[in-house]
Amino acid sequence: MLKGIITLLVFQFLGECFVKLFSLLIPGPVIGMIFLLIFLILRKGSFPSLDTAIATHLKYLPLIFIPTAMGIITQFDIIAKEFWAILTSLVIGTILALAFSSKLMDYLIVKQEEES
Amino acid sequence: MNFDALIEYINNTPLTWLILTLLSYKIGIIIYTRFNKHTLLQPIIISYIIILSAVLLTDTSYKDYFESVEIINFFLGPATVSLALPLYNNLKHIKTLFIPIVITLCITVLFSIIITIVLLLLFDAQLATILSMTTKSVTASIAIITSEQIGAIPSLAIGFVIITGILGAILGTPIFKLMKIKHDSSKGFALGIISHAIGTARAIEISEKAAAFSALAMGIGGIFTAIVLPLIIIYFL
Repeated sequence: MLKGIITLLVFQFLGECFVKLFSLLIPGPVIGMIFLLIFLILRKGSFPSLDTAIATHLKYLPLIFIPTAMGIITQFDIIAKEFWAILTSLVIGTILALAFSSKLMDYLIVKQEEES
Repeated sequence: MNFDALIEYINNTPLTWLILTLLSYKIGIIIYTRFNKHTLLQPIIISYIIILSAVLLTDTSYKDYFESVEIINFFLGPATVSLALPLYNNLKHIKTLFIPIVITLCITVLFSIIITIVLLLLFDAQLATILSMTTKSVTASIAIITSEQIGAIPSLAIGFVIITGILGAILGTPIFKLMKIKHDSSKGFALGIISHAIGTARAIEISEKAAAFSALAMGIGGIFTAIVLPLIIIYFL
């Protein structure tokens, strides 16, 4: 798995370097992810050690968010003050976006099928 | 026996919070599997409640807690890079529906961000809340690093991400029925692009095709948002 971990770290490193070099606003790991995607496309696939390293990371992904998520204890006043604004926006925003995107995609697929 | 030294050690070693955090997540996994993987009982929610109670009860500051578990946080970077593999595995689906996918991706991401900003402005919410909600549909690791990038509050952002994921997983199927959605690829794509990983877990129950499109949407949606969101924020706010 070591080779896989090194691969992930190298791609993150390359992504961060790229962002610094061109003063981009995109987060470095996202560029690293794009680089790894290009690498996988060029290589036409992954290798077992990388598969294992990635599977391990993805399996425990939610655990990785806990340190950040716990910062909520410093945000109680914002949440208390804007509770209804937050809740309503999340619910209405999610419903509208789900309805809109599924309908749009369905419409575009039907249109493409008609054309061909 | 030197109890003072013992208590001093327990209070100061990062191991205490590290073990508690890992343990709480393990308990979360056990409860989640026991209750047939119910959406509302995600391991992170159970773990979160346990740690939150422990931090509040012991009056620990967030700074102290974060420093203890910083090693967990380190994996945010490599975990984000890891998302390239599921995206690569589902990339072949892009070819068959290239134009519908690209159009839906671009318009939905912009629509979702704009509708969120407009709703919060109507409620007179403050800027920190608005910024933190713009990443609500992005998979959590990308949401955290993007929210840091745009000056939002990452801990609020991650909370919004989880709630949006759960809302999508619960409301998805009734909405698709109401909107008379025909294709499983549309259902999956919508779930992935709005409700990221939790939506993808729901899409697996619809069909294999829905799951593939959901994973695809989650990946490209995350990348697209991370690229355009900082530009939108700088331009408009």
